[in-house]
Amino acid sequence: MKPQEPIPHNYSISRLNLIFALSSLALVAVTGLIVGYDYIRGWKWFQLEFMRMQQERIVQEMQVAKSEENSKQLADLDAQERKNTLELAAHRDQYLTAQKALDAMEGDHYRADQDFRFAKANLDAQRYITEASVVQHRADAAQQQAEYERQSAHLADLQVRLQDVTRRRDAAKANVDQWLKKIKDAEDKKKEITASVDLLNKQLTTVDMNRFSTNWILSQPMLDFVNPVIKIDQVVLNDLSIDMNYMNVPRVDRCQTCHRAIDTPGWESKAEAARLSQELQQKLDAYQIPAEKRKETEDRIAQLKRIQENPNDTLNPWRTHPKLDLYVGSASVHPLLEYGCTVCHRGQDRATEFGRAGHTPASPKMEHRWAERTSLTAGFFPLPGDFAKRHWGYEENEFIETPMYPRHYYEAGCIKCHSAQIAVDRGDDITKATQTVELYGCYACHKINNWRFSDLRKPGPDLSGIAEKTTPQWAFRWISEPHNFRSTTRMPSFFYQRNMIDPSVVPPQERAHNIKLQDAEIHAIVSYLFDKSTHRVWQQPGAGDAGRGKQIVNTVGCMGCHIDTEQVKDEKSGQMRLAKREDFPLERNYGFNLTGVGTKTNPAWIYNWVKNPKSYYSEAPMPSLRLSDQEAADVTAFLLTLQKPAFMTTAIRPPNRQAVHDLAKGYLINTLSDRDAEEKLRTMSDHDQLVYLGQRTIEKYGCYSCHTIKGFEGLKPIGTELTVEGSKALHLFDFGFMNDEKWKNEDGVTEHVIHTVPSWVYNKLRNPRIYDDRRTKVYNDKLKMPNFHLTPEEARRIAMVVVGLTKEKVADSRMAGLDAHTRLIEEGRKRVSQHNCRACHVVDGRGRAIASTIADANFLPPDLSPEGARAQSPFLFNFLKDPTVMKIRPWLGVRMPTFHFDDHEANTLVTFFAEAGKGPQFDTTRGANASPANVKIGQQVFTMLRCAQCHGTTPVNPENPPAPNTADSTSLAPNLTLARLRLRHDWISDWIRRPNEMIPGTRMPTNFPRDAATGGFQSPLALAIDTPQFAQYKSTLLPLFNGDEKELKRTMSDAVALTDYLRDYIWSIGITQMRAASPGGDAPAMAMPQQSLPPATAPAAKSTRNQRGVPAVSGGAGR
Amino acid sequence: MTMKKFVSLMFAITLVLSIACGKGKEASKEDEGEDDEQTTTTVASTAATTTAAAAAPAAAAVSADAATLTGLVKFEGAAPKMGAIQMSADPYCQSQHSTPATDEDVVAGPGGELANVFVYIKDIKGNFPAPSTPVVIDQKGCQYHPHVNAVMVGQPLQIKNDDATLHNVHAMPVANSQFNEGQPVQGMVSTKHLDKPEMTPFKIKCDVHGWMKSYMAVMPHPFYSVSQANGTFTISNLPPGQYTVVAWHEKYGQQEQQVTVGAKESKALNFTFKG
Repeated sequence: MKPQEPIPHNYSISRLNLIFALSSLALVAVTGLIVGYDYIRGWKWFQLEFMRMQQERIVQEMQVAKSEENSKQLADLDAQERKNTLELAAHRDQYLTAQKALDAMEGDHYRADQDFRFAKANLDAQRYITEASVVQHRADAAQQQAEYERQSAHLADLQVRLQDVTRRRDAAKANVDQWLKKIKDAEDKKKEITASVDLLNKQLTTVDMNRFSTNWILSQPMLDFVNPVIKIDQVVLNDLSIDMNYMNVPRVDRCQTCHRAIDTPGWESKAEAARLSQELQQKLDAYQIPAEKRKETEDRIAQLKRIQENPNDTLNPWRTHPKLDLYVGSASVHPLLEYGCTVCHRGQDRATEFGRAGHTPASPKMEHRWAERTSLTAGFFPLPGDFAKRHWGYEENEFIETPMYPRHYYEAGCIKCHSAQIAVDRGDDITKATQTVELYGCYACHKINNWRFSDLRKPGPDLSGIAEKTTPQWAFRWISEPHNFRSTTRMPSFFYQRNMIDPSVVPPQERAHNIKLQDAEIHAIVSYLFDKSTHRVWQQPGAGDAGRGKQIVNTVGCMGCHIDTEQVKDEKSGQMRLAKREDFPLERNYGFNLTGVGTKTNPAWIYNWVKNPKSYYSEAPMPSLRLSDQEAADVTAFLLTLQKPAFMTTAIRPPNRQAVHDLAKGYLINTLSDRDAEEKLRTMSDHDQLVYLGQRTIEKYGCYSCHTIKGFEGLKPIGTELTVEGSKALHLFDFGFMNDEKWKNEDGVTEHVIHTVPSWVYNKLRNPRIYDDRRTKVYNDKLKMPNFHLTPEEARRIAMVVVGLTKEKVADSRMAGLDAHTRLIEEGRKRVSQHNCRACHVVDGRGRAIASTIADANFLPPDLSPEGARAQSPFLFNFLKDPTVMKIRPWLGVRMPTFHFDDHEANTLVTFFAEAGKGPQFDTTRGANASPANVKIGQQVFTMLRCAQCHGTTPVNPENPPAPNTADSTSLAPNLTLARLRLRHDWISDWIRRPNEMIPGTRMPTNFPRDAATGGFQSPLALAIDTPQFAQYKSTLLPLFNGDEKELKRTMSDAVALTDYLRDYIWSIGITQMRAASPGGDAPAMAMPQQSLPPATAPAAKSTRNQRGVPAVSGGAGR
Repeated sequence: MTMKKFVSLMFAITLVLSIACGKGKEASKEDEGEDDEQTTTTVASTAATTTAAAAAPAAAAVSADAATLTGLVKFEGAAPKMGAIQMSADPYCQSQHSTPATDEDVVAGPGGELANVFVYIKDIKGNFPAPSTPVVIDQKGCQYHPHVNAVMVGQPLQIKNDDATLHNVHAMPVANSQFNEGQPVQGMVSTKHLDKPEMTPFKIKCDVHGWMKSYMAVMPHPFYSVSQANGTFTISNLPPGQYTVVAWHEKYGQQEQQVTVGAKESKALNFTFKG
């Protein structure tokens, strides 16, 4: 055979081997990388870290439990052992006998049971046979029947026997059990003690990630798909969807993947633990926790105390969410499984990496820590070493569509579900924020299409009659800078703002030109307004005394809505300074500051206004105080003394003809050619040009959005619609040159614009013209939003509302407050807010701004918190429409004004109170009269408790009760004959029992104080009834109880029964008729028929062109 | 080296690397100041609670070196004359006084000695258990007796109505909870426990009789005294040390003085109030 020749190959095998080896190594490496890249995720580190923290804590707790257990166990074991051995030894024989008896009984029972069952089975068979033979008409039917009956009887016997045997067996069992029971009890107790340690051990195994433990093995790559210990945690929310460009997708929140303990109590920060334990302790002390929950609460407080004593504080992201009872907790109103996280916090819901989720740092320091990189690969992905130092690898990313709300803007997320509510319960920040928006009237220029900001009144007064009220000279100065006249005004400044005249941003030449243009615009506006104004003539007041007027203004209630001073004492320096809005409560900023009103307007106008505001314009927010002619004259005289003459001496520059011409032409050119525009202007007189320019300027600045102006009815508001402003993409906001810039505001605060939406909005609100800084713009293109001079806090609040207005659709089932009950309450709350009831009254637990101006607390307007539960709806309806129907508190100096509510508004308010007070709409017990015996008992109780010392019981005319003697405080209690018309029947007894709980601080004494231990009511009459002083009452009462002294005594200690009798008595003495609200309002104070006077001359248009300084026509009170 | 060796070396390195590179579990306990705390939380100051929970039982009993502090409170200049109280609103009250009672706002003796001044040690530390004997305020003749008083934390306060007319006890403390109890029955007693210290006296008034007022303080220690009609006050059993003493008058405000008492010393301290 020929030796085999080597087979020739086309390529070298050894090289192939090498290539294959290297490429297979490379493939293995790449596979390893793939697995690694998929497996090594940042979020796993957070979960592992949390498991380690849990391990630590469990070990700690186990030590505690073991030490407890050890000491107890030792004692236990010893005691039990001894006891058991002794017992058993002593009674061993008995035990054994009992056991033997039981065994025998068991045998008997088994046999009897078996017999019974077999017999039963046989009976069933026999039944079949019998019935078959009957049906088949067999001969032996009767025999079978007899057999059946015999077997039946036998079965009955067997059953009786079985029951008997069972009874005996149970008795024997009980006998044995009594010996075993004690041993069993001891064992159970031991188990209890070791149970906690066992439980902790079990918990420990679930978080054990030590190498080669079960958990560790299950978490290895490729194995972790079986039953992963570390996995992504998410909650899917279908009805809180996300608008993803033409498609609504369910929201999938994966935040808990890293925020492990967000809904688990026990991982609070120390600060939160301190706050929460204090709150819970207060609730415990005030008996606000029901008895069955007290132990739970005490345990929780103990847990929180342990957290506070722990040397380490739990850091984010492993902290429990603060206010777990309100957010996120399973027992809260926003449980995690139903709401997720991003509904409130925004952020990218499905992200599982820190950078993608949209986390927003709260401060530059935090941003710096987040962004710091210490390891080499931190640029690509942070390593555990980075995480351990809490550097999360943060990078500013403007492409994230929905970044999270920064700190201080958290409550912006409330609006999307709570826009149908005026006040969000426990959401103080967002409630104040929406109130701020309502106060400043942002909704008037910027449409916001949700319930909260619709149906609200126009923030500014009607300007149709401006010529009757003031002079063009005053109006010019006012529009130029409202704050020069009234430091607390809400009218913003349109003119001479930063982008027009600030030397640091506008070059001098342009500045001079801007001033001319601005002057021209203001002159134009004034010309237009006075040209189109009505000229009704108002009646002049009679002679008035300013001193009396001042007294009336300070007592009758003006100070609830108005402020009358511009100088306040600075708290820090003790010096007097100019007042700001926030120096006074919100409610007192409703009406304008009275300072300078004498300079602004004339006596006839003031007189008419205070007598009957609605005759000036029908939407006037000011109600009528029902002043008599003399009172009104006095008030007018006083208000005229409030002068600000310095305001009227500032120079008014006359309008520059060229400026007027240029501006007017700029508008005309939109529709006419240049030549036609010039032609038209030549034909117009100076005055006409100004009026035309005025019309265009009002249109430009949007004055008609806040004020009703003739010729501008029905126009759309001037500002950008803000309904979904929070969803506007970041790149659509015009930062101008101000991105990442610092700028100094006129109030001295330096602000920093950063490239986020909240920052843009906040800075815009602080000074709306800053985004024009350093930009070159044509005059008419410059920013024109006026400056409201907001403080940083106010700007933050309004910005919070704006960024909260998003386009995310929330399913109706998730919107808060859409049920009928809440709708009625919220509609009423809106009315309360719009009519400023809180100026004088406490509603929903807050308000009564007027309290700071009334020294004696006895003379405050009533607290309306219990009004719904307290007042009858028909009474309240009539009273609100016409408060003169009943003078329930004749000692008050403050008057309830006549608001001229129409039926709809009055009904809304009445329904609000009734729903909020949880009372039925109509009191069905209104007509009922109690039995005469009850009334008599009530009368005796009434006398014993001496109620008549303060409350009158003789019938009075409700409209005009006798004037009280305010020098002595006994007559400062309502007359009880009016109760039947005003108060709800069942409320009366509740009130007598617990006035201090309904209205804290009330003058009505608590006659039935609560027992601290039981919470029940104690009665002072329980012991008093047996004293000699009360013998006469006892003898009068005894026959009413049919001589049953025990029953009498029992009743005297039963506060509920006593108060019911009192109520019956009060009800019986009540009057039953009262006048209904009289229709129509006050007659207008005009005495002369309306005449038109020639239109008021526009300021300085007629005066010589070059005149400077004080114009010829003097303004002020003389007109 | 040969191909085989090279390959096996690569393999070995890869193996070694994959085993050795586990996930480092260094979790350093960062105790750095937490800067992402909520600014709106108010942390209960632990200072108050720790002093209250101080377990050291200080000597409540008379110690051997107990000192006494006495003094005189005077009014400088002529004290304002108090007018008569108009009790016509309630005939019973009027009947209880043969001559009308005078306002008790300023009670001064002929030489300017000021009564009803509440004198107390402001800054003494220790645990002083309250006696169980109650402090009694009596309403007689439609006036509170005494006009200024103090009770220790937890000590029962009894308010008695000795008049055959309706009184209500309307207390307006700041730290403790308000109460307003009616007392229609003559002879009835309301007992209250005030459990929070309130060293500046608060007002107790009657809503039925507007002229009635009295002042009450809740003290955490027994070192206080109310000046008598002759203007003198006495604080006894005082442990030696340096203290701030406060004198409070309902109309003339409060004054402070520093005093150091040695063992068994009887120190004198005077206060003067100006109108």
